[in-house]
This record gives sequence, C-alpha cells and structure tokens, in this order.
Amino acid sequence: MPTIKTAVATFATTAALSTAIGFSGAAVAQEVTIGVSIPAATHGWTGGVNYHAEEAKKRLEALYPDIEITISTAGTAGEQANDLEDLVSLRNIDALVVLPFESGPLTDPVRRVKDSGVFVTVVDRGLTEEGIEDLYVAGNNHELGRVSGEYIRERLNGEGDIVVLRGIPTVIDDERVQGFQEAIDGSEVNILDMQHANWNRDDGFEVMQDYLSRFDNIDAVWAQDDDIALGVIEAVRQADREDELFIVGGAGMKDIIKRVMDGDELVPVDVLYPPAMIATAMDLTVQHFVSNGPVVGEYILGSPLITQENAEQYYFPDSPF
Amino acid sequence: MLLSARKICRSFGDNQVLFDVDLDLQAGEVHALLGENGAGKSTLVKILAGYLRPTSGEVLLEGSQRHYRASDEAEADGVVMIHQELALAEQLSVEENIFLGRELRRGLFLDRRAMRERSREALAELETDVDPRARVKDLSTSDQQMVEIAKAITRDVRVLIMDEPTATLTENEVKVLFALIARLRQRGVAILYISHKLREIEQIADRVTVLRDGHLVDSGPMAGRSKEELARLMVGREINEMYPPLTHLPADAPVVLEAREFLVPGAVKQASFTLRRGEVLGFGGVVGAGRTALLEAVLGIRAKSAGQVLRNGQPVVLRHLRDAVRHRIAYLTEDRKGKGLVLNMDLRSNVTLLNLRAHCHPLIDRRREEHAFQEAIQRFDIRLRTAARTAAELSGGNQQKLLLAKVMSIDPEIVIINEPTRGIDVGTKHQIYHFIHELTEAGRSVILISSEMGELIGLSHRVAVMCAGVLTGVLEGEQINEQEIMQYASGIKGVGVDEQRYG
Amino acid sequence: MSSVMANNKTTNKAANPTARQKGFAIDLKTWGPFVALVVLALLGVLINPAFLGLDNLSNMLTRSAFIGIIAIGATFVITAGGLDLSVGAMAAFIAGVMIILMNSLVEQFGAGLTTVLFGIGASLLLGLCAGFINGIVTTKGKIEAFIVTLGTMGIYRSLVTYLADGGTLTLDWAVRDIYRPVYYGSFLGITIPVWVFFFVAVIGYILLNYTRFGRYCFAIGSNEKVAEYSAIHVDRIKTMTYMLQGVCVALATIIYVPRLGSASGATGVLWELEAIAAVIIGGTMLKGGHGRIWGTVVGAIMLTMIGNILNLTDAISNYLNGTVQGIIIIVAVYLQRASWRKTGA
Repeated sequence: MPTIKTAVATFATTAALSTAIGFSGAAVAQEVTIGVSIPAATHGWTGGVNYHAEEAKKRLEALYPDIEITISTAGTAGEQANDLEDLVSLRNIDALVVLPFESGPLTDPVRRVKDSGVFVTVVDRGLTEEGIEDLYVAGNNHELGRVSGEYIRERLNGEGDIVVLRGIPTVIDDERVQGFQEAIDGSEVNILDMQHANWNRDDGFEVMQDYLSRFDNIDAVWAQDDDIALGVIEAVRQADREDELFIVGGAGMKDIIKRVMDGDELVPVDVLYPPAMIATAMDLTVQHFVSNGPVVGEYILGSPLITQENAEQYYFPDSPF
Repeated sequence: MLLSARKICRSFGDNQVLFDVDLDLQAGEVHALLGENGAGKSTLVKILAGYLRPTSGEVLLEGSQRHYRASDEAEADGVVMIHQELALAEQLSVEENIFLGRELRRGLFLDRRAMRERSREALAELETDVDPRARVKDLSTSDQQMVEIAKAITRDVRVLIMDEPTATLTENEVKVLFALIARLRQRGVAILYISHKLREIEQIADRVTVLRDGHLVDSGPMAGRSKEELARLMVGREINEMYPPLTHLPADAPVVLEAREFLVPGAVKQASFTLRRGEVLGFGGVVGAGRTALLEAVLGIRAKSAGQVLRNGQPVVLRHLRDAVRHRIAYLTEDRKGKGLVLNMDLRSNVTLLNLRAHCHPLIDRRREEHAFQEAIQRFDIRLRTAARTAAELSGGNQQKLLLAKVMSIDPEIVIINEPTRGIDVGTKHQIYHFIHELTEAGRSVILISSEMGELIGLSHRVAVMCAGVLTGVLEGEQINEQEIMQYASGIKGVGVDEQRYG
Repeated sequence: MSSVMANNKTTNKAANPTARQKGFAIDLKTWGPFVALVVLALLGVLINPAFLGLDNLSNMLTRSAFIGIIAIGATFVITAGGLDLSVGAMAAFIAGVMIILMNSLVEQFGAGLTTVLFGIGASLLLGLCAGFINGIVTTKGKIEAFIVTLGTMGIYRSLVTYLADGGTLTLDWAVRDIYRPVYYGSFLGITIPVWVFFFVAVIGYILLNYTRFGRYCFAIGSNEKVAEYSAIHVDRIKTMTYMLQGVCVALATIIYVPRLGSASGATGVLWELEAIAAVIIGGTMLKGGHGRIWGTVVGAIMLTMIGNILNLTDAISNYLNGTVQGIIIIVAVYLQRASWRKTGA
C-alpha cells in the first residue's frame, strides 16, 4: 500500500498494556466480524472510498480466513446511524470502521457502538468528542490547504491574482481554506473571489465560466478538489485561456494524476487526499486482532504534493476514482 | 322589515348585471325570487349573503345598514345561504360538515358527542335517515342537499336563502322540505326561495319578486298572480305551448340503434332496447335505477360484462366514447360541471373540444375555431352578458347551452340527452324542448333520460322505464302517463318483477 | 335547425369580451415572468457590468439550455395534471449508457461520427422508453405520478452509480473531440445548445397551443372526467406527455455529455426540482390545466441567471446563495399570482 508509506503516523502505542496481561498467543482462533460503514458513492471521492473498501475486503478476507468484513453504505447521516445499530444488533460485529457522514450527528451513535464493547476505528472525519474511538485514521485537510497554498505562492513567486473554488460548506472545506490562507498570508498573492462549487464538476464548470468572464487576468486557480478541477479545465479550454493560468486540484483522482504524469502545463501538480485511507484503516483494524499487541492511536496521513516525478506511485488505473 | 336591499347595482367590468334592484324580506314569510338564468338572481342573493359587494346601493338589516365583507359576517347576523352548487367537504363526515368552521369544543378538544347529537336532531327534523357519521362523498346528491339544509338550520338562522333547493330532490324529499319550510316560517324565519319550478312557488310562496335582465319587473303578494302570468313576466313574452308536437314517425322508420342484453356490474341486471330514426325514446325511473349506467355502458364509457350494440343493424364495438363519436352518437351528460365542461377553460375551446379534429389540418386553425364558436353562440343562443372568459363564469342555463353546442359539434345522428333541464329556467327549458323537436324533424333520433315526468310524457314517442337495474318495460301511446310510468318505475308492473320480489 | 334556439335572442352586446378593462392587474399576470427577468437582468448589470458581456450572456443561455429543454417537457406533463420527478436521474442514466455505448463502439466503428450518432440515437430511444414506463405505470397502474416517478428516480440514480462502479464514467478522448462541438460549437454566433433550446421551445409552443395534443393536455389537467366525456383517450395522452418529457431529457443529455464528457451518480442531481421551478415561475399551474411554454423558457433562464449573478458578486455571503434564490423564486411567482385576487371571480 503506497499510502502507508506516506503515512506520517503519530503512533501512540500501548504495548505496555498487552505485555501486562501477558497475552502472547498467535492469531486469534475465533472468528472476527468487522463492520465497515461508509457514505454511499454520491461523488467521485466517496466512489473511491467504496472501491478501496471493497478491494481491501477481498484482500483481507483472502489473507485471514477467520475474518469476515461487512460493508454498508448510507446516503444520509440518519441512514448511517441506522446502519450502525443494525451492524451491532444483526451482525454482531467485533470491530467497526466508520467514515462518518458528518461529525456531529454521528458522535453519539458511534459512542453507543463503543459502549457495547466493539473496537472502533474512525476514519477521516473526527468525532466531536474525544476518547471514543480506539483508532483514528485521517487525512489532513489543513495540510492539503497549506501544501496547495505553498505551491501556488512559490510558483507565482509570491505575487499574482488567483481564484478559489470551494467545496460543500462543511468543516472539511473550512479547514482546507484556512490552511490555504495561512500559506499565502504575507505574500502578494491576491484572492479575487471564492465561490462554492460543491466538489462537483458541473458547478466547477459554471463557477469558472463566470470567473473567466468577470476577471481579465487570472494567474492560478485553486480548485481544492479534482472533480471541480475537471470542470474548471473545460471552462478554461472553452475560453481559450489555457496559457494564462494553472490549476491546482486535490484528492488524487486518476484522470488528474494521469495529466500530472504526462506533464500537462495546465495541471502541473495535484495534492493527495487519498480515498484509500479507508483501506489503511481496515488494515490497521485487522492488525489489532491478528497481531500480538493492540493497535490503537492516531494515524494522520499526509497530503504530499504529487508532481510529474512521483505521480506514478499514486496512479490506480483500475480505480473508479 | 327584516332584510332589505335598496337600489342595488352591480357590475362586472363593463357589464352591469343589476340595475337599482329593491327587495324586502319580512320575518315569517316565504319570498320567491324568479327570473331566467342570467337575470341576476344569483348575484343579488350573493350580495345579500355577503359573498359579493354591491357596486352601489345598500343592504339593511332591521333598518340599519350592513357592509358585509365576507359571508361569515352575514352568517353572524343570521343570514345563511344554501348554495345551488353544494359546498360540502366531500371527504368529511356529515356531522363534521354540519359544524365545519364552528366546531363545538369542550376545553381544547372537539366535543364530538354534542356535535353528533345536534346533527342527529337536525337531520331528524328533516325526516331523513342520513347517518351523521357517513362520509359526504358516499351520499346521493339529494342527501347531500339535506345535509346543506341541516347545516343551515343548526345555525341561529333568521334569513334563509335557498338557491334551487329542489333541483336534485325526489318528490318525496321535496314534500319533506316544504314541511320544513313551513315550520321555519312559523318560527319567524324569513325564507328567500329561488326556483324555476313555478308549480312549487305557487304552492309555498307568500310573496314573489321577478327579475329580468337585471331589472326588477314585478314584486308583490303571490295571491292573485297566476303561473302563466309569472312565466310571461320572467321571459318577457308569452309561452303558449310548453311542449312542441311530436314528430310524425312513419311505421317503417328504420331502427338506428339497438342494445341487446346489457349487463353492467353493480348497476344494470337486464336491459335491451331499440331506437328508430326520428324517434324520441324516453328513459324513466327513480334516481339510481341504472338508466345512466346503461346508456354509458352502451356508449363505451363504462365497463359492461355483457351486451351487444347494433348500429343500423350492424354489430359495432364501442370501447371508448371516441368510437361512439365515430358512429355519430353524441352524449350530453347530466353533470355539466363535473363531466361536461372544462370550467376554467375558455368558451371557444370548450365548444370545439369534442370535435377538435375538424379544426386541425394538422395544426389547430384558430380562425376557423372562432368562426365555429360564433356560429354556436348564434345557433344555441348563448348569452354572454358578462364578459365571461371561462365556462365557470356562465350561468347554469348558458352552461347547458354551451354543453349542447359542444355535443352537437360532431353533427350526430343519435343524441343521448341526460337530464337536460336540471336547474334551468323556463325560457331555456322551452328552447331545449324545441331543439329536441328540431332534431327529430331533421331525421335524428334522441334518447332522453329525465326525472321530470312532464318532460318524458310531453316529448317521448316511447318511454322505457327502469327499476333497480332492470328495464321493466317500454311504454307506447296511451300507456305513457304518470300512473303507468310510476308503476313500472317502482317494479309493480313489468319484466323481472317476480325475480326482484322473490329472488 | 337554427331558428328556434335563436328566436328569442336578446341583445348579444358583449359577444366579444375584451380583456381591456382588466387593466394593469392582468398585465402583470401575463407578463409577470418577463418583468421579473428584466428586473433581475438590471440587477445583474448594477452588480457587475461584466454581466452584459457577450461571453457571459452566451454562457448563461447555454447553461440554461439543459434545464430549459427538460422544463419544456415538464410543462406538458404538469399541464396535463402529472408530475415527473425522475428527470434528473433519467438524464444521468441516459448519459451513463451513452458513454458506455460510445466507448464500446470505438473498437468497431472507430472514434468517428457513426459512434456519436449511435450514442445520440440510443439516448433518444432510451428517453422515449423511460417516459413510456413512467406514463404506462401511472395511467394503467393507477398510481400517483409522484410515487411512480419517485420510484423511477431512485432506480435510474442507482443504476448510473452501478454502471460507474460508484465513480465517474468518462467518454473516450477521441470520441469526445468529435462530439465536443455539440456543446461548444456555435452557428451564426449562437451556441448549439441555445439553438436546440430555441427549436425545442418553438416546437413545444406549437404542440401546446396549436395541436389537439396540447389542447387535450389542458383539458385533462383541468378535469380528467370532462376529458373522458369529451371522447379523449386520457391515458394515451397522459402517457404521451411522459414520453415527450423523456425525449426532452434525452435531448438535454445529448448536449450535456460533450460538455464534460462524463457522467456519475452526481450528474443531474436536483434537476427535477429546477425544471419544475422553471415551469411554475413561468406561470404554469402545478395542479394542471394551465401551461405556458414561453413562460417556462423565461423561468429556466431566470434560474440560471440567479446563479450567474451570485457568482458575479462577492457582496453576498456564499452561505446565503440559497436564501437569495429562494426569495427571488417566491417573489417571481407572487408577481403573477397576487393579481389573481383582483381579477378572479
């Protein structure tokens, strides 16, 4: 898993605890059921999450015959809360890997799962209360914004006019924008406007069209997300202004990474925010049951800059994302 | 004087429909308001009951001026109107309707028991066996009428305005209603009674007021005024012959339509009939005897479980009204608002809707359509006194004529007419009778369903009578009289009688 | 036969009622959507002169074409008393199938015109079938259109997600280059989608106002019983409105696919509501019986214009975009309806 390689893990091990109990056996003989609850594939990134979860399930079940993995997808936060109840009562799970739809509404349902004695791994979106989960695996939204900002600042030599397309108004979006603004703070990089494009291609296309008719000069576009970036690319092509600017997306969609690999001038780099983090979380959760010591703590995955040089290692042609 | 109107004028846009009309209502009298359709009766009573405001003039209650802005203000004064078009909430129960908008409560909650009791009392007073818990949509039209009246009498009513209350009632129900009116009169209630049936008015009215074209033409005590005189005042001319003579029917007149052994689930058990060229075949029977169901099944509007139709001796299959139209059979429904006219559509489109094909080549030719409409206005004497843009704005009689124009647009050879004169004034009735006569003179055939005995007897060559889904007999010549029809209609005489008694 | 009915004719003085006396009130009722559009455009110019730029106007009209074309179909469905909630999902599904089909045809026919034409043909056929299913289930199954189309909405939405494996379907690059002009190309300075929108609107106008089909839609939407007693094949006409809607969705999809060359579960989300909103803003009654094509066109342009103006300013917090949209839509409809109280019976 390339993603594990890039993981900047702050690993708070509790190895002491395991030795204290003196539990030094091999892999658990009894069957372990792991429930995975993720949002439905409503846009590209969650589509990638679904793909990687399915792939990880196949791989892990083949590797460990005693482990059974159940994946359920939910269209709304409420539906996901129901799914969690069902996983506990119907599937009788031993561990839960959850990528919460929204942090706030799901904090309590996850705590109830935890209270019933299940090992809980939370992915990507932290719960609003600390100390519930055993394991936390996440990307770093703030860093995604920062890395993007630093790249744009550097490439423009600290001076230029840029436009920003934001995602769906959520905490994730806020953190990214905050990191970005901190990175360009103090430079002459000027944000002309920020509008929400909702991590959606069509919205990205339309918002960019309007930017292009409104501003005569744009030096760079921060699209924050690769779906938005694809819409932006089309709008720029339509206006014949490819030579004037460059675009920075985010996430690591295969189409965008392909362009970076091929040295596309319009999309020189991408910033990783991998949907494969769900697979990382599942791996670590399985490790908790099959290795000698418990696996707990926080794993924060970095958001490295993908350039033409290193693009190949992030390229999954078979993934839908 | 309990309620008075003084110099009431009312205009809709440029068109004035009431001109300086006075009306006085005394406590404890039945006051009849007469006039042709479109004479302004409905507008006048709507002003009295607070549904409309006069353009000029005033309404006085016991001498003091009233400016009703809505009907509930009039109702608070005890002025209650029962509509010609029933205004009931179909999905609610009878008692819920009776107390709609003024529900009895005990604390925060509805006092259902009290409402049911008072509803029961009111219905008992009307001598009707309507269940207060029944849903209004399951009731017959006449029962719904009774509910409307019950609704009015549970209020503290001082002036009761009844617009065509007997239009949908049976003979017996009419008797009950009249007894009730007499009781209300004794209590000191003033009753303003609108009707086209002069015979009824003669029976119950103390005083009478006649409107014509928005003007007051006569007002005074009923005593000393004859039916004939009132009819002449309403129409503004003499009506000498109510029914035109029957068209002579040659002995060898061919059969143009035959229905054999019809069976309609839940409505018709057994019925066959024939119709000859130039003939008027009447259909008699009480409401619910299956006459409408039978003819709608013949036309293909309603599903049948058995039955065969022959047109000019040839078997034909009618699955949809379009098939009937193709065989030049037209149907004039009894429910002109629910089935006949698109109320919120303009008049022209209504007239051409049935035969729109004739104006399409392939796009609709608006000029030809307008031309056809103007012709229909002339031919059927549709009076557009108000700037009516939609069918809803026309008076009942004009709606009926509009519907007639629509149905005749296919130039039919056979016309099936269902209750053509329900809720219609004398003048228009007269016109429709003569129209039927013209049809048969021109070699067309007519099937006439009517609950008015006079109409059946006066217009039909033969009368088919139905009782409880069975066509009990077809009467001819001397047999066509009131007693005979009643006997067949009630199952005392005719086919299938034994089955019903013992089966 | 005319003699008797006409023999006691009184003065037929107002045989040609004029609407003149209704004055200003009726004007607003008829012209309401147009007035709202002009006011909104003026607002746009005030906020940012770039609004009137040729490019911006062209972008905006081109964008409004999708919703506009779908809304013209919806005008028929709604006028006839129906409702179609499945259009957005149907568009996504058709787009998905088109892309898969064209990608697979590249091997056989190469990335040429044939492939694109096959895609377009498949789109129209699919739209027709999808509409037919909505119509036949609604009429023959006697199920409310709301439920039927809510059901098909879920079906098409999940089918496209399934086809895309939860991700995004992308059109072959070579095919895309041939197909691209359908969205980005122009004729006489006007883009192809705007032409398509225009022609669909003209055909829709003629269909609704000058054919039996259109007249029957009005009658059915006003009162189905009356329509039945006027010898109209009610079920047939209603089904045809859904099929027409399907074809409109297919046309919109045909010009949508070349724009971004992709389809996913997120394609066309909420288009159904935008289309219905455009229809209602245009003066069509949601309960049926009254419909106006040009009003729908104005409604669709207005909806796009609101989004465009909001993108042209940073005076309003982005978080409040929905509020602004909501207020403008309600005011636009109020403008037409408010006058009804004065002129109505």
